[in-house]
Amino acid sequence: MIGINSRAVRHSDPILVVTACALVAFGVLLIYSASLSNYPGVSAGHPLVKQIAFASMGLIAMVAVAWTDYRVYGHTATGLYIIAVMMLVGVLFVGDSAYGSTRWFNFAGQQVQASEIAKILVIIALARYLADRHNKMDDPRVFLISLAMTAVPACLVLVEPDMGTALVFFAVWLGMVAMAGTPMKYIMVLLGTIVACMPFAALILLNDYQLERFKLWINPNQEPLGGGFNIIQAKIGIGSGGLFGKGLTHGSQTQLDFLQTSTTDYIFTVLGEELGLLGAIVLFALFTALLFRGIRAATLSRDQFGRLIATGIVIMILFQVFINVAVNIQLVPVTGIPLPFISQGGSSLIMMFIALGLLEGIVLRHKRLEFQ
Amino acid sequence: MAGRIKGPFEGRRRWKSKEPKREPLAGARVVTMAAVLRALILLMFGILVIQLINLQVIHGSTYKEQSAINAIREVPIPAARGLIYDRNGRPVVENTARFSVTITPSDLPEAGATAVYADISDVIKMPVSEIKAAVEQSIKDQGEYSPALIKTDLDRDTALVLMELEPHAPGMKVQVDPARRYLTGDLLSHVLGYVGPISAEQYADLNDEGYGYSDYVGQTGVESTYETKLRGKSGAKLVEVDAAGRELRTMSERPPVDGANVVLSIDLDLQQQVTNILKQYSQTSENAAAAVMDIHTGEILADVSLPSYDANLFSGKLSQKQLEDLINATGKPLVDHAISEQYPPGSTFKAIVGSAALQEGIAGPTTTITSRGYITIENEFDPNVVYVYPDWAPLGALDFYGGVAMSSDVYFYYLAGGFADDGFRGLGQEKIAEYARAFGLGAPTGIDIPGEVSGLVPDSKWKQDTIGEPWVLGDTYNYGIGQGYVSATPMQMLDAAAAIGNGGKLITPHVVKQYRDSMGNIYDPVATQVRSQLPVEPGYLQIMRDAMRQSVTSGVARNAASGAVTVAGKTGTAEFGEQHSDGTYETHGWFVGFAPAEDPQIAVMVFVQHGSGGNDASPAAAQIFNYYFGHETPVRPDEATPVPEPTDEPQETPFVIPTPLGGDFVPNPAPITTETPILATPEVTSAPEPSPAPTAEPPPETPPPEPVPGPLAQRLFRPLEGPL
Repeated sequence: MIGINSRAVRHSDPILVVTACALVAFGVLLIYSASLSNYPGVSAGHPLVKQIAFASMGLIAMVAVAWTDYRVYGHTATGLYIIAVMMLVGVLFVGDSAYGSTRWFNFAGQQVQASEIAKILVIIALARYLADRHNKMDDPRVFLISLAMTAVPACLVLVEPDMGTALVFFAVWLGMVAMAGTPMKYIMVLLGTIVACMPFAALILLNDYQLERFKLWINPNQEPLGGGFNIIQAKIGIGSGGLFGKGLTHGSQTQLDFLQTSTTDYIFTVLGEELGLLGAIVLFALFTALLFRGIRAATLSRDQFGRLIATGIVIMILFQVFINVAVNIQLVPVTGIPLPFISQGGSSLIMMFIALGLLEGIVLRHKRLEFQ
Repeated sequence: MAGRIKGPFEGRRRWKSKEPKREPLAGARVVTMAAVLRALILLMFGILVIQLINLQVIHGSTYKEQSAINAIREVPIPAARGLIYDRNGRPVVENTARFSVTITPSDLPEAGATAVYADISDVIKMPVSEIKAAVEQSIKDQGEYSPALIKTDLDRDTALVLMELEPHAPGMKVQVDPARRYLTGDLLSHVLGYVGPISAEQYADLNDEGYGYSDYVGQTGVESTYETKLRGKSGAKLVEVDAAGRELRTMSERPPVDGANVVLSIDLDLQQQVTNILKQYSQTSENAAAAVMDIHTGEILADVSLPSYDANLFSGKLSQKQLEDLINATGKPLVDHAISEQYPPGSTFKAIVGSAALQEGIAGPTTTITSRGYITIENEFDPNVVYVYPDWAPLGALDFYGGVAMSSDVYFYYLAGGFADDGFRGLGQEKIAEYARAFGLGAPTGIDIPGEVSGLVPDSKWKQDTIGEPWVLGDTYNYGIGQGYVSATPMQMLDAAAAIGNGGKLITPHVVKQYRDSMGNIYDPVATQVRSQLPVEPGYLQIMRDAMRQSVTSGVARNAASGAVTVAGKTGTAEFGEQHSDGTYETHGWFVGFAPAEDPQIAVMVFVQHGSGGNDASPAAAQIFNYYFGHETPVRPDEATPVPEPTDEPQETPFVIPTPLGGDFVPNPAPITTETPILATPEVTSAPEPSPAPTAEPPPETPPPEPVPGPLAQRLFRPLEGPL
């Protein structure tokens, strides 16, 4: 069950890997431009070098994970879930903070973002849970328990605070239960309740900091030099890029350091300013290709478990991209979430490649094509 | 058997299904979900693209504009403050810069803060830990967006090194503050004043004139009065900056207009001499003042107030304690006693009363009054109660000149309040007040340094309003000798004396003479401002001048006589404070006068807070006259400036073009030489006995008795004592 024979390599999905590498390369270019003002020369500590190093590690991890039969994870799903929850609890107490959020563990000088790891683990656990009950999906308990399973890590993440990742958890769960066969009416009722309760929930659950963010999103000009500064700068940066952008390394907002966290949360602004609308469309096209390949993996999967993992991963990536870009263009209140494969960050990059590894693994093992 | 069916493994080809590869049949649900997901992906990216089109295409140009504006800052270029020179072109201030190094915590790179500290640590010789501590303290005090002051008063080289380092050390900035250095120390502090940081009230007023929150403003003295001219106009430059505010490129510049340079009317050497002289004669005083004025123009040639202070203290960091010490020190060094304090003028006031009496016809040059040493008047309700008004000595019969020259109190009791027993009508308080005001008392002289007080010219209305008592004859007597309620600043008395000296023009004194540009060219001279004409005929003023001359030649002002010039003047010894147990009072010493007596050019005032007019103020004045007229030829003060003045006509014969036919033919014309005397330093022509020794002229056999008037307070119900 563990090994793969050479014939299976034919059925791997090269497009998945190629698209991902294209995205990484794209990201590396943008990171280079964004760090130009602080790192005029490329040296060992340059973010570009770090990103390439992590990408390489990611590729290795991806191959390792793809090699491994994903069903192994299914057997350890509960354990993985517990690890995820423990990590999220742990980071709140011993984690490092930055920009008002406590998200990172410090392992020997490297920052490891707990929620990035937790996301994959929870997807696996959720997939295992739902797959086991694939003929009991009418049972509302399944629906609710799976919601609870997701809610626990989601709330832990919300406390960090990290609104964006919490949202991703929720979307992932929704997509997975839909794919798993939950009756539509359950979903409708839930969504309806949420919409109705949203104002109240917002007031109660969100802390001051997040409410501030919300207000600033509506009108960043309230604090043009304070909290609203980044939003305004991002808008100006992207808007001034026009159709074709100002050219790589020629974006004034980027190069003059008007963007905060330009290599992570606001890296899309760098893209928008320097490569324009066209650059953005290219990015979206790459992601669309990646996600469509992920959907293909879901449809090809030999079992529900794999299918659900693939669905979860696709939704996770989709929503992360959407939220990150939407923040940059002021469609959504500010929340810091990395742009998959593009943003600088070791944990995000490696976990994304691991996710791809899972997808590859699923594709590799769709046994129905084997006619031996 | 006809033909075999070809089996699947025909040949060595590997079997391959001939069926087209087809996707495994996924359940209908999965297919739908997959389609939904695909649609969702396209929808979500579509939303993003729409918003992008909104930002980048529809509003693209607006944002493009904003991104340009964002990066451009207008940075003010401060103008250099105008310099100040003495009348001879010697600079008395200097503009210097104070360099400090600051670190703005929010601009520090996230992981590189320590690197920045390390970079500057060597340069400023401060350990990294100290720098770090300073930054952290500043974050606590004023947040992380305000610059933290790390070290100040850096020397120029250090500052230059740091400035070079700035682009490599984000967050670090060298701050340059203007500083003023007063080259004359404490010599001209009251005249110059000092420049200090703008206060909250000043900022409220001056904000619209372009003053910034951390700007500097002249706080007192010439620095304050001439602030607008000295300040100039700051320029500005448009620079491209990055988010840390670092200037990358200057795009355009509007140069600043430097402040105008001010030329004082003060002569630095004279100021130094007067200071030394005054110090000698004011050793028992808490404070003292002396001034020298050009009698025709009002220019102040010297203005000394003791004790003084070093204005440079205010250029550096002055602690609250230091400031309080200065303010509370004995003698109040921060106060210009010549203009900001008022004192009873004592006998110097007699010059005004005497002039008034002449004008009003109360007395004439030959009006004789005999002083037996006192006069007495009876209480109008109870004739047994008698008030005594003493003279400082029984001086005998005196004419007007004598009355002034010997400073007889009795003479002036008569002039002021009259003496019923002799049928002598006096001026009365109303007239005295009227003339006092006409001579400039009771109102500021208008000198161009701030802080002047008005003094007080009392009259019956004033006494009723302020003290609540009616005016009595005794008040008028005291008025006549410059005691009682009347008070004046030394500058007012100088101005009044100058008016007598110049023939009746009350001129506004001023310490600034003109302006000077960076090439040394003079412009905008300050015009002489005649405030008013004295209401005394020139003839009477001449009589007063003669009387004042007599005071110096043979009267109580003998000690003011100078070997270098003829002096005319009036002394005063004014009582103040509490009466001592022996009946005496502390006294101020006054002298006002002018020289040369026959054609006055300058007026001099000396005031010592503790001393006598005849023994302290007068000899000081004599020394001043000695110096002024002894060390250079007695010319008009404004001609003393060594300015090259080409003579109007050349000294040599002009070159004449020889006419070929007849006419004037000048053979061998002398070559043209325009002998322009360069730096026409006036040679010291033979001054009459240039003796700088402070000896009075023909020393009398006995020095004049100390004119200490008796106690002046009205003595109610005190019976007449025996003859004095």
